[in-house]
Amino acid sequence: MMRKDEKSKQFQALIEQHKGILFKVARTYCQDKEDRQDLIQEISIQIWQSLDRYNSKYKISTWLYRISLNVAISFYRKNAKRQNRSIPLNEHISEIKEIDQTDKEEQLGLLEHFISELNDIDKALMLLYLEDKSHKEIADILGISQSNVGTKIGRIKVKLKTRFSQLNS
Amino acid sequence: MNELELKNLWQNSNEKLEKSLNINRINSKEISRLKIYHFISSMKPIKIFTLLIGIIWVGFGAVILGNLFIYAFTEVSKFFLFSASIQVGLTAAAIWIYIYQLINIYQIDIAEPIVKTQERLASLKKSTLWVTRILFLQLPVWTTFYLSESMLENGNWLMWIIQAAVTLSFAYIAGWLFFNIKFENRNKKWFQLIFKGKEWTPLMKSMELLKEIEDYKSTKKE
Repeated sequence: MMRKDEKSKQFQALIEQHKGILFKVARTYCQDKEDRQDLIQEISIQIWQSLDRYNSKYKISTWLYRISLNVAISFYRKNAKRQNRSIPLNEHISEIKEIDQTDKEEQLGLLEHFISELNDIDKALMLLYLEDKSHKEIADILGISQSNVGTKIGRIKVKLKTRFSQLNS
Repeated sequence: MNELELKNLWQNSNEKLEKSLNINRINSKEISRLKIYHFISSMKPIKIFTLLIGIIWVGFGAVILGNLFIYAFTEVSKFFLFSASIQVGLTAAAIWIYIYQLINIYQIDIAEPIVKTQERLASLKKSTLWVTRILFLQLPVWTTFYLSESMLENGNWLMWIIQAAVTLSFAYIAGWLFFNIKFENRNKKWFQLIFKGKEWTPLMKSMELLKEIEDYKSTKKE
């Protein structure tokens, strides 16, 4: 068992170095900025609680993704009522708006809207796919076989392609 | 838009998103406080209250009934004695499941793979259905506890017909619900009527998630 101040330092360094994972997971599961902040706090607490049990046989990013996604899915379920609100296209991307990027904004809005429609585990899969994770790491994080990862990603890509072609036509 | 463009679009927007959110530097003292807060907030006060009332009810019931069985068995109405014993016994079983669930939920390792952890969490949530099934089994004894031997001797036919009809219908409803409250019937109207309301939303979502997990496990390469 680590000493508390040692654990605190390690925790802060870990969060600082990998905060991107927390942000991305929060972004994938919550449309509301306030919800995202709550989820990030919830994930941080769970990381703190699990820190003593970290198993070095896994990559730190795999371990962090597992905790973050497990918390996000449970959090998402707990707050299902809030999540059931319809998400108007483009409204939720205001915080990343840039004046001369209307086309990209629209595409990003469509992508986020598409993700919001996926089920809980497909959302996790989509996030890991967009983050360019290998099939092996995705399989380790989700706990399914690599071939299953390939099949599922293939199906999501087909859906995504249909969506984007509908927009362009 | 091709795959690479899509990934670039996502990753570039991540950088902008990071600027709009922040992680407060949390020291160990603060997070210890948060840990306690987190535990209490996840067990809503109403649930703790229900659990306490249930334990007190079963405790009192067991003491009173135990004494009646030992010291006044011949004097007290057998209808009351056996109806109350069944009721207290079933409530105790429901409380036991509830406590077992809570212990298990807090023992789950959140750093395990997603499908495994979520399946365990959702299965535990789903086992709440057992509590409901058991509690519905109590229905018929609420129609028999007030009967007595003197009513048996002095009651008229009409009273007994009404009594039998009520008890048998309650027993039928209880049995029917016991066997039919299950995951497979979650889309039926009567099921949704029973499990309506925000208290049940996480349970319904858990059952949906279990379905998704089943799909994931059964996915074969096409």
